[in-house]
Amino acid sequence: MNKILFRPEGQIAKVPDGTLLSEAITRAGILFNLPCGGQGRCGRCKVIVELGDFKRRETSRLSSIELEQGYALACQTTIHSDLQVFIPPQEAIVRKLPSEKAAAEIPTLSIVCDWQSNPTIRKFFLTIEPPSLSDNTTDFERLKRELARQHGIKDLAANLPMLRKLAGTLRESETKGQGWQVTAVLEMGTWVEEDALPRLVDLRPGDTTERRLAVAVDIGTTSNVVYLVDQASGQFVDSAAAYNAQISCGEDVISRILYARKEGGLQHLQRLVVQTINKLLQELAERNQIDLSEIYHMTVAGNTTMMHLFLALDPSFIRLEPYIPTVNHPLPVRASELGLHICPEATVDCLPGTGAYVGGDITAGVLSSEMFQAQELTLFIDVGTNGEIVLGNADWLIACACSAGPAFEGAGVRSGMRATVGAIEEAWINADTYESTCRVIGDVAPRGICGSGMISLLAEMFITGVVDKSGHLNRSLDTPRVRVGDHGPEYVVVWAKETQTRKEDIVLTEVDISNLIRAKGAIYAGFSVLTKSVGIDLADVEQVLIGGAFGQYIDIEKAIQIGLMPDMPWERFKYLGNTSVLGAFTALLCPDMRREAVEIAKKMTYLELSADNRFMEEFTSALFLPHTDTMSFPSVMRLLDKKATP
Amino acid sequence: MPIAVEIPKEKWTGRIREITLGATADEGGTRKKTVTVGGESTLPFLTFEGEIPNPPVVALEIQDRYPDDWSTVLKDAWGDVLNDPAAWATRAEEYGADIIALKLQSAHTEGDNTDAAHAVDTVKSVLAATGLPLIVYGPGQPEKDNEVLVAVAEATTGERIALGNCEDKNYRTIVAAALANNHLVIAKSPIDVNLAKQLNILISDMRLELDRILMDPTTGALGYGLEYVYSVMERLRIAGLTGDKMTQQPMICTVGEEAWRTKESKVNEGVPTAWGDWERRSKNWEALTATTLLQSGADIVVLRHPESVARVKETVASLLAQ
Repeated sequence: MNKILFRPEGQIAKVPDGTLLSEAITRAGILFNLPCGGQGRCGRCKVIVELGDFKRRETSRLSSIELEQGYALACQTTIHSDLQVFIPPQEAIVRKLPSEKAAAEIPTLSIVCDWQSNPTIRKFFLTIEPPSLSDNTTDFERLKRELARQHGIKDLAANLPMLRKLAGTLRESETKGQGWQVTAVLEMGTWVEEDALPRLVDLRPGDTTERRLAVAVDIGTTSNVVYLVDQASGQFVDSAAAYNAQISCGEDVISRILYARKEGGLQHLQRLVVQTINKLLQELAERNQIDLSEIYHMTVAGNTTMMHLFLALDPSFIRLEPYIPTVNHPLPVRASELGLHICPEATVDCLPGTGAYVGGDITAGVLSSEMFQAQELTLFIDVGTNGEIVLGNADWLIACACSAGPAFEGAGVRSGMRATVGAIEEAWINADTYESTCRVIGDVAPRGICGSGMISLLAEMFITGVVDKSGHLNRSLDTPRVRVGDHGPEYVVVWAKETQTRKEDIVLTEVDISNLIRAKGAIYAGFSVLTKSVGIDLADVEQVLIGGAFGQYIDIEKAIQIGLMPDMPWERFKYLGNTSVLGAFTALLCPDMRREAVEIAKKMTYLELSADNRFMEEFTSALFLPHTDTMSFPSVMRLLDKKATP
Repeated sequence: MPIAVEIPKEKWTGRIREITLGATADEGGTRKKTVTVGGESTLPFLTFEGEIPNPPVVALEIQDRYPDDWSTVLKDAWGDVLNDPAAWATRAEEYGADIIALKLQSAHTEGDNTDAAHAVDTVKSVLAATGLPLIVYGPGQPEKDNEVLVAVAEATTGERIALGNCEDKNYRTIVAAALANNHLVIAKSPIDVNLAKQLNILISDMRLELDRILMDPTTGALGYGLEYVYSVMERLRIAGLTGDKMTQQPMICTVGEEAWRTKESKVNEGVPTAWGDWERRSKNWEALTATTLLQSGADIVVLRHPESVARVKETVASLLAQ
């Protein structure tokens, strides 16, 4: 056994020879992120081995200076003696959560629906005569009898856990001189079986009919959001958001799928996401003074992989051709089966998805954006690591997903970071001097560039001629900011002395630019193939709805300039924010809309881009600023012409 | 009963750009004749449908050093002139070439690594030896290409030499040299319609007129991706004829280099007897590759074997004859 001492905090782990350093860190109980799921690709789990014998399997992410200083990637380094390891602080997750802004406004249902008739959860207050020698009916029959007599509920089903509670709760509800007074909580049918027997979900002493609490949840790959809803009043009550704790096991869905294949990995991921949701529920309970066990219904939206991990279904085959999920529309499950801290008998409904890469979150988007009722030809896009795109209107829907890669999330880019405090979110470049100015989240000295900052920066570099249409830096410009660095040609956005760490210049390298162009190219190619597959011209799209947490920070003007979004009048674009949780909210409140969600998922045609040879063609065509087909970007061309002839 | 059949005709809205290589004394150069390519308003050889004002032409490749890596079939055909680019150029003109394509191979860093001054001397001697327009290629190494081509461009101002190759990652220097000295450039892209178009856009963004850009979509010899190249060239041509201004450049194909690199042309030992006579086979390989690519829109084919000139020209003439 080797003894590993972790500095600066002094934790200790004892591990056998050959153990991965990341494994030892976990065993020492240290919270440590493996953004790429331990594949050695992201280079963000750097630690410094100060003493001892170790082997690095992979070093391509480390510079020669770092190697000399003892830096190693925790997920790619094996232990071969006692070690002393220094763990530098990792990028703290302190970003302004997307919901912070959204929370300020109270979300309401945009859709008109009759949410009051036929609610799923109903509460009935009952006064029951306690049994006697002359009336020896059983507790359950007695409850049924009174439900029928007082509320016209003909029949009732109850699971074993409820039956076990029955005798105690009923007697506990004895009110002096009035007999038993209880509130029965009934689930009136489920998503899959609308006319199922009413099911006893909870039984509580006294009258609790005033409110019927439920929650809508969005399980995003990056962040999770919970909406607390009162089904009695149809009102949104409160919301809470946090990072999905699974991030420590990989930042994107593919990394998570790979992590799930490790021994115990899937269960670990399932626990992590449930922990995150429970933490948010706890936060809501404290703030709103409610008892979590009074939450009787939960709807969940998320991409297909997130739903698999939430339910601990094997996600492996989502990643492999021909990309098959275990299920698109999981049957309702009980909260207790998943370890959720709401009423154990409460039903958890997952919004149905369409395919491996067009999941319930997209169904939720189409639902909450009212796209499924739209007369106008609508393009819905959820921008993230994966770009999901839906085209259609009330009559038809076609969807595809394209892998944009993690560039917009700040990964795979030299000075990239998530949209946390210290990230450059907007940049401007002076057309004469090529000097830059930036706006930084939190008004502090910058540490890196986040996705919206990259879009903004690339657009500025392009319009001012710092890069040409193929994304290559123009090295003949008279500015020290364009130079050849250790990682090839680059543009210095912020000099080291003006950054937070004062150590390294914040740069955008030619490789970064090429990654960004690939990311935007993939999404634009998705639009093109989707519209062409139904014989429609992109220009005929009447409205573009942008969903997703990242989406709301995209500057449309800049996004058009780099060819991420189609060149059309700005008023055709509409930001919707987190459409996933809104969709879950809609389905939670309104059984009709739940039915619509199923219809949407069924109706949506899934276009598999990897099986479509047009995609590569469109992709290459989109790997240019703004696009090889310059005629499709008239406003950008006019702008360039104007710059060329002052 | 005879039935009148009307051949359907496609009406194209676009036209391929006309590009003139070489400049006479009146035009600021020293060439005895110039060569104009392009101008088609129809697909190759469909004269009944549109205009083909300039038939495709043939360039012969010469090098500035003895090509010891060439097939003996080629070496025997050319003989002594291989040691002297000027003599080689004169001989190529005698064989009927329309253009001389000079490759400055000696500048290659892994070869003789000759310098810019050497390149200028060679080009000047070739210009003196022939009255035909010139194409000048660097050794194919970005830095070395830039070094020798800039020097050549400056020393031969006004000659309208086609300088090659400009590629996606290395075009600025060569384009700037062409721009300043009234030359043309060859834009070479790796067998892809979009990439070819993108490079044309990048070059024209530097304000080089489009009628000074030839495009080389990259050639694959018979049996080595010819059908792929054919298809890409055909699509480029159709895009141009449909009105896409950035694909209306005449196309140049380095047929000789590719055809003489194939196993079938290069070796004769250990090959099946069914392959037949080596010399005949290798010459056919070049001619067949060339005539196939002419069918998909090539405007200039660069060849290596002297006899190929007449064979290809004969094919062109017969295809253009009504």
